[in-house]
Amino acid sequence: MRGMRMREELQAYLDGELKLEDLPQDLRADAQAWDGLLSSARSMGPAGAPLGLDQRVMARIQEERAGVTRGIARKINPALGVIRWLTNPRPIHVSPLAAAAVLAGLLVVAVGPRLGLLSTPDVASETPSTVFVQFFVEAPQAQSVELVGDFNSWEPTIALEDLDGDGVWTGRVPLEAGVHEYMFVLDGTSWVPDPNAESYADDGFGQMNSIVAIPEPVSGT
Amino acid sequence: MVTEALDGSEHAFTELVRRYQDVLYRHALRMTGRADDAEDVVQTAFVKAWQNLASCKNPERVGAWLFRIGANGCKDFLKSRHQRNLSLEEVPLLRSDSSGPEGAAERRDMADLIQDALQTLPPEQREAFVLKHIEGWSYGEMSEKLEVSVAALKMRVHRARDELQVLLAEYREG
Repeated sequence: MRGMRMREELQAYLDGELKLEDLPQDLRADAQAWDGLLSSARSMGPAGAPLGLDQRVMARIQEERAGVTRGIARKINPALGVIRWLTNPRPIHVSPLAAAAVLAGLLVVAVGPRLGLLSTPDVASETPSTVFVQFFVEAPQAQSVELVGDFNSWEPTIALEDLDGDGVWTGRVPLEAGVHEYMFVLDGTSWVPDPNAESYADDGFGQMNSIVAIPEPVSGT
Repeated sequence: MVTEALDGSEHAFTELVRRYQDVLYRHALRMTGRADDAEDVVQTAFVKAWQNLASCKNPERVGAWLFRIGANGCKDFLKSRHQRNLSLEEVPLLRSDSSGPEGAAERRDMADLIQDALQTLPPEQREAFVLKHIEGWSYGEMSEKLEVSVAALKMRVHRARDELQVLLAEYREG
């Protein structure tokens, strides 16, 4: 019996293309039986989503986002940070004062891997208080990563790059000395904090901004 | 609101969840047959939607886009699990049109029958049958939401009826 083809007239009736009186007499009982069965099926079932489903969905989204950032943190910190610091090209500090160079080096070693940021003074900068900060974040699933912060009016204008395709996105950005808040934007939609930021600040919208503090470069004069 | 949600506003996305959770959940429950599975499928669908907001090219059709994600989630779920015989005992009930306990019981038996039978259908046939006959959509609506041709959907519904009519015969004989 299984797999037995239903007669075309009955199919047409159930599709709403024929009326009951248009069916051959021998099919009308079948048609009415189907009507009863389907009516029963339609009459029972859920009225809607269970209470609190929306809250659980949003909680899960928050967990997913937190999970992403926790995962990034585990992968980056500390070994990857050190590796990136060792392998990434860095500007060479050529301050005439040896003390300045030493201080800058200490800043990179001590702060960079721990923060997930590598901060190196750049003598090419025309502004004495500007330093180049290297940002990186591991996001192997992302198709694009932008850096947003108070330094670019929170507009996704700074695209990070993953040139070697290893899922670690990097970018070097000139920043004025001072305290800056920032986030990463994955695929143009997901705003996530830097898992390796030294500290965070509530953005007033239920999110936490990452914070980076850039000390004044030591003057070479 | 839709545009704000697609731009990544969590508040606006929450509103979208509230707006479309009922239709997604009803469909998921009828597809999976279990309340806990249905909720998991719906939660996953919304999370996936949130993560892929950029892929929604037409904000005016965000409902269809969300439904498609949910419907695909149902089919993926069904394909990933072994077939199980399930009963509406596990399903929260909407209502019964029957008057009196005897009528309600009879209708419940019939609903159980068809729900059990649905579990034996391939996911695509089950989806088409559920949308057409239980959720009451037209072929045109189904085609629009699922982005599948009317002819293909009609074929799936017909195949589902072919499979189910044996159960109807058993019911009438029994």
